[in-house]
Amino acid sequence: MSLKEWVFTTDHKRVGVLYLIGSVAAFIVAGIMALLMRVELTTLGPTLTANPTTYNVWLYAHGAVILLGFQIPALTGFAANYAIPLMIGAKDVAFPRVNAFSVWLFYMGVILALLTFVMPDPPDVLWTGYPPYSTITSGNTAFYTLTVLLIGFASIIAGVNFLTTIAYMRAPGMTWNKLNIFVWGTAGSFVMQLIYVPVLGTAVLLISFDKYLGTSFFDPTNGGDVLTYQNLFWFYSHPAVYVIFVPFFAIIMEIFATFAKNPIFNYKVAVYGGIWGIVLVSGEVWIHHLYVTGMPDWLRIGQMVTTLLISVPVGLMTISLIGTLYKGSITFESPMVYALGTFFLFLIGGLTGIPLAVTSLTVNLGETYYVVGHFHYVMALTGTLSIFAGVYYWFPKITGKMCNETWAKLGFLLNFIGANMIFWRMMEVGVREGLPRRYYDWAQFPQVADDQMFMTIGSVILALGFAITVLNWVFGAISGKKAGDNPWGSQSLEWTTVSPPPHGNWPTPPVVSEDWSPYAYGKRA
Amino acid sequence: MAHEAHADAVHAHWDTSIWPFVISFGILGLGVAFTFQFVYHSSFAAIIALGLGLPLILGGIAGWTSEAMGKGEGLSFASMGWFILAEAMIFLSCFAAYWAARLNAPDWPPAGSIELPKLIPVIMTITLVSSSLTIHKAEQYLHAGNRSGFVNWLLLTIVLGLAFLGMSGFEWAHLIGEGFTIKTNIFGTVFYSVTGLHGSHVLVGLAIFIAGLFPAIKGNLSPGFWRTAGLYWHFVDIIWFFVVSQVYFW
Repeated sequence: MSLKEWVFTTDHKRVGVLYLIGSVAAFIVAGIMALLMRVELTTLGPTLTANPTTYNVWLYAHGAVILLGFQIPALTGFAANYAIPLMIGAKDVAFPRVNAFSVWLFYMGVILALLTFVMPDPPDVLWTGYPPYSTITSGNTAFYTLTVLLIGFASIIAGVNFLTTIAYMRAPGMTWNKLNIFVWGTAGSFVMQLIYVPVLGTAVLLISFDKYLGTSFFDPTNGGDVLTYQNLFWFYSHPAVYVIFVPFFAIIMEIFATFAKNPIFNYKVAVYGGIWGIVLVSGEVWIHHLYVTGMPDWLRIGQMVTTLLISVPVGLMTISLIGTLYKGSITFESPMVYALGTFFLFLIGGLTGIPLAVTSLTVNLGETYYVVGHFHYVMALTGTLSIFAGVYYWFPKITGKMCNETWAKLGFLLNFIGANMIFWRMMEVGVREGLPRRYYDWAQFPQVADDQMFMTIGSVILALGFAITVLNWVFGAISGKKAGDNPWGSQSLEWTTVSPPPHGNWPTPPVVSEDWSPYAYGKRA
Repeated sequence: MAHEAHADAVHAHWDTSIWPFVISFGILGLGVAFTFQFVYHSSFAAIIALGLGLPLILGGIAGWTSEAMGKGEGLSFASMGWFILAEAMIFLSCFAAYWAARLNAPDWPPAGSIELPKLIPVIMTITLVSSSLTIHKAEQYLHAGNRSGFVNWLLLTIVLGLAFLGMSGFEWAHLIGEGFTIKTNIFGTVFYSVTGLHGSHVLVGLAIFIAGLFPAIKGNLSPGFWRTAGLYWHFVDIIWFFVVSQVYFW
């Protein structure tokens, strides 16, 4: 096992592990940014820094790195890479070199994002990069553009690669309706990536054109329009939520099926109505981010309806999830504990999003901490904890070893408590006090002092939970006790090969029989 | 027996390729060069970063091509459709920005614009459409197993592509000389950005052709590669119709 075989690897499993290492590193950096912001907000006035621009740089780095460097790469990079070829019974992906290219482009993007901390004039444009600020700031908007372009291009070629893999490299007998739900979820996610990422790439490229080449795309004094940027940006960035949501929900479904020993309830409805329903509606909701930019009522109301409509496919998937548990013989190993906790947090996050879709409410709730709380329930908590669930689930397959269950569950408990302390309270102060988000200080709101302290304590608990989780993986990989090939007793194809799988995955390529199913537990033959 | 041999191969080694890493690193160099030039105004550092990045990219492409040509691009044609979807969205975003600006403008063309030449875009269109036909012809020779016929028609395609870029460059130089630049107004912005974006795709298409040309001359002909490259080229051709109709003749 030489270093060269890791760095220059084209094997999908090693590329997946490289994605995991890179995204966890990005996660730690972005987490430190969040802690810095949290500590800064604990007391009135300057706490860590007297310079509000420094706070803005943390805000930028936290948002950009956690989304582009952690969530999307961990799901469509790590989880997709590791699991999909194994789940469909393929030797590797369709284009192994392109796969390696994609992971290294992602690393270069993360390196650019990290250069933020050593170069003068770091970017201070949030993760949204709105003009006109982004085109006139003394901050380095180019790093923002280039980070998005590199990681976006990595996503696009990964999407091309995986959709081709899923379409053409399935094992003999692996028909569409025998695919794992995670394969479907990732396929839906990649279709969305291919449609929307190029739009984001163009939008951020054009702000750098405006700033550095003197074009006037978003300059109203010369015939441009700032709203064009907001439209292009949210045309990607709202569906980005679904790019993350669909695969993580599918991971939870996989784990529910395995640990409840039940087939996925309503499989076809969840796939064709749920996953592809989301893909279908995802492109028609972005304008709810622009409700207050002065648009006609018919457009606002139309977009309110399409935004609410997204609850239908999500509801279908939720029904499948609960139905999978029904009358199952459930065991509570760490992946299942995470999956159940994630599901609970997702319900909070999903239901608190409905008021934000409603035009008349969002005018008041938008730009308050309510939005931050809701958004973090969906993305930060559900997204992150489901990634943790997935890592714990596939850990025995990846390393051939088991993680320590006690530490895993302790980590979960701290994560769960800390996260709810922060983000529930955020929603509360947003509604109760109307505390505006994104500000460096809260001088006009002295009544939130106790809330700020409470949330900071929560963030310390959360940080401790994350630290325990990551260390548990490291120690598990080094000195965990040996895992069998199929420690969870799953029927899915990835557990039929040895742990860890060799290059090529199976000594002889698997063939799937007529009555095989990844979820053939009890009820079915 | 075949299976046993396969099993041994499976355990023997892990496939590696250095080129994806090399190209990625080169691309990072380009990004750093852009930042040095435009943000930190240090052309010297930019040239160093460019001098590091560009050879890595070009060498990486050459290495990748010679390593992989003829092996395993059987699925590349199928995947090109997905890539074209993503590419089409890039152009659509630019056109959307253009349409939003143009349809909301109080008067069009905005002050400072000049009359675009009408003859050059027509000649450019004819050139690019011809190149789509010549690459199709080249592919026919390839399938018929006629290597020299293939190489000749491929060379003709490359010449037509270069002629297209030459005319585009000539036109840019002419317009910039008349004082119509990318900074002039929103029309200048759109004109240079959209034609530049399309031109960069022509350049990439030519780069693909040239990267495959040398193996082809040596006799390494990969029908999968050429079918895929041809599809990309036809896409670039079709996009040009949108560019020419929206930017030049509207």
